[in-house]
Amino acid sequence: MKKLVLAAAFLFTLVGCSDSSNDPFPNRDIEIIIPYNAGGGFDAYARSLAQYMQKYLPNDVNILPMNMPGAGGRRGASHVYRADPDGYTIGIFNMPGILLPQIQGVKINYDVNLLTWLSTLSVDGYGIIVDDESPLNSIEDIKNMGRPIVYGATGPSSTSYIATTIVSESLEIPYEVITGYKGSGEYILGVIRGDVDAAFANYSTIQPYLESGDIKVTAMIGIDSNDPNIKDANDLGIPELSNLKVVRMMAGPPGMPEDIKATLEQAMLNALNDADFKAWLESTGNDSFPVNSAGTTASVKEMTLFYDKFKEFLD
Amino acid sequence: MIDLLLNALSDIASVKTLLLLLMGVMFGLMFGVIPGLGGTTALAILMPLTFGMTAINAFAMSGGIMGAVAMGGAISAILLNTPGTAPNAATTLDGYPMAKQGRAAEAIGAAATASPLGGLFGVMTLLMVLPVAKELILLFGPPEFFLLAVFGLVTIALSDSTNLLRGLISAGVGLMLAFVGYDTVTGGERFTYGSDYLFDGIPLVPALVGLFGVTEMIHLSITGGTVAGDAGEVRLHGVVKGIKATLKNWKIVIRGSLIGTIIGSIPGVGGTVATFIAYSTTKRADPDPESFGTGRIEGVIAPESANNAKDSGALLPTIAFGIPGSAEMAVFLGILVLHGMQPGPTMLLNNEREIYVLIIALTLSAVFSAIIGIALVRWLAMITLVKGQILAPLVIAVSLVGTYAIDSRPGDVVIAAILGMVGYLMLRFNYPRLPLVIALVLGETAERGFLQSMMISQGNWEIFISSITSIIMVLLILFTLGWSFIPGILKSRREARAKSK
Repeated sequence: MKKLVLAAAFLFTLVGCSDSSNDPFPNRDIEIIIPYNAGGGFDAYARSLAQYMQKYLPNDVNILPMNMPGAGGRRGASHVYRADPDGYTIGIFNMPGILLPQIQGVKINYDVNLLTWLSTLSVDGYGIIVDDESPLNSIEDIKNMGRPIVYGATGPSSTSYIATTIVSESLEIPYEVITGYKGSGEYILGVIRGDVDAAFANYSTIQPYLESGDIKVTAMIGIDSNDPNIKDANDLGIPELSNLKVVRMMAGPPGMPEDIKATLEQAMLNALNDADFKAWLESTGNDSFPVNSAGTTASVKEMTLFYDKFKEFLD
Repeated sequence: MIDLLLNALSDIASVKTLLLLLMGVMFGLMFGVIPGLGGTTALAILMPLTFGMTAINAFAMSGGIMGAVAMGGAISAILLNTPGTAPNAATTLDGYPMAKQGRAAEAIGAAATASPLGGLFGVMTLLMVLPVAKELILLFGPPEFFLLAVFGLVTIALSDSTNLLRGLISAGVGLMLAFVGYDTVTGGERFTYGSDYLFDGIPLVPALVGLFGVTEMIHLSITGGTVAGDAGEVRLHGVVKGIKATLKNWKIVIRGSLIGTIIGSIPGVGGTVATFIAYSTTKRADPDPESFGTGRIEGVIAPESANNAKDSGALLPTIAFGIPGSAEMAVFLGILVLHGMQPGPTMLLNNEREIYVLIIALTLSAVFSAIIGIALVRWLAMITLVKGQILAPLVIAVSLVGTYAIDSRPGDVVIAAILGMVGYLMLRFNYPRLPLVIALVLGETAERGFLQSMMISQGNWEIFISSITSIIMVLLILFTLGWSFIPGILKSRREARAKSK
């Protein structure tokens, strides 16, 4: 009798299992991990995209953005890495933000190259900015200052700091970095106030400051310049430096089944091309750069190789 | 400017917008009352709701929340000795002793009057300085941040002259805790023992919940009885007395509001320090400073007027440069972006209308929340009559859940629990707890400002007196130090001379 009950129970479990796995994905709400605090550009981008993405998912499920700040994005990355690869937990990440600790050999609980990369959302480069009234107008001016240029940056493992180091070392510019600013807004302010000569800031972030005439750009790295007076990585003779960009990408846990991956990938690409979402991007000075799963995975690999090469500057 | 304000008023004056504002007020009050939760969490939770709203409605609701949390937080500070939000910490110093004497209603009445007055004063100051906001923000660089933090630390060090050494020890422990975590200047990790949680440092809000909320409830359950136990009876009709006392002390309100607006406008320093400096300045200016901490109503008026004024201050860097002046403003910036606006120096040009709506909403919210606070005083004050055995587990459970709700990090709850026990020991052995909190807030700002200044000047100390702002700050520090020591020295000299004659 006991055996019979056990067998029946076992059968029921099996039936239960097959039932839910027969339901097409997704059959419940999907959680999207934002590895930073609520508020701020990254968070807003993720939340706005989530709104549009659920439009393109079957079965009327919701996408629930969840902030999981901590350890400079590493906490969120670990959480997604450890989650079940069932498609109900995905994350939006800043690359190379979560890649750098891995290159630097910091103890982390994830491997960037094992995550299931779903799509690229946006790509941003850097502007090397100076105060509007600064005599510096180009990399040449910076080289001929007669003293090392002083940059402002956040912490020494931040993306902007690493970009500052790699560009300055590659172009043989003597430099110093004042670290410790709490975010790009603060070091842009430091440039305007004159604490520092220059800074590497994301190109989309500096738009309002350019518009108000507080700062100007001396060179652009990671994006192509249309202005003949402002040089980019190609003009500077080191095209490889175009790899220095900040990319927002979506990823799920390692080993996500192909069909689930395809559903999410398609919903994201559709959302990125949604007319209303594009209008939102336009009004907030944001950008989109949709790339599919295969392309995103390839560019993560490429980034890993690039930063590995400059490992000596990353300590 | 007047027509802008009138336009904003007419924007708000629709039934739906006002209802959303009121909803924000209720939400803000509730989140303010619960220790651990505050304006930041309330805004973050309501943020997705604003998706479908117009920008004006979203701003009205956000303003409702931000303007009301201060009042909610003051209520728990007074009734339970547990600051509902971090800036209410200073209110516990005299608010709770008042509750213990059965004067809870009077204290809440004072807070409910000081809050909107401070809010109004802050808004007026904001409107006056808005045209020069950019220039004002640019006055503060790393050397000025360092000096400001030192000024804050000097103020704590001298806040309790009868207990100077213990205060310094407490502040020293606070500084040590402030240095835990990733150091953004050198990139090193300190005292993290490989933990990802400690990488981000010891967070302020869980520390506050532990040191005040948990500590007080441990104390209450050990001593037994009720909060108002020794009062004999609770006077529920003191509200009017509290309101009158606040109006009579209008000078304290103005001074507190001014301090709140100025310090609130400095990113990274914020409300907790502003209310504390408002408190200690009032204490020092009083003819009888020794009586503070025993239930002086002025000790509630000063920090609470600074508390609502600080929101206007925090708007300055937010509007002028897109740099959030406080954690709440950071979430608010997110709401701005969601509604298609771009934070930064162009906001004042492109989004003037929305900014004025927020300013009006903040003001209305402070008034509404005060009215609701006063209306509920009678029932709220009853909490001081609830037995400790019932109150303590409830408050501890709610505060710890609140702490967890901030970022869903179990570590936050552990910090609150550990510091709750540390706080109880401090209470037993008569060590003041507020210096620890203020040092925890200022430690990082002080260190970062100092190291950055030294890097910028290449080790030249003159950087600390190289601008008018920094010279004023240095003088302020010297003056504060002098004021507390010189009278004592002069007195003992006079006595010595009298003796020798």
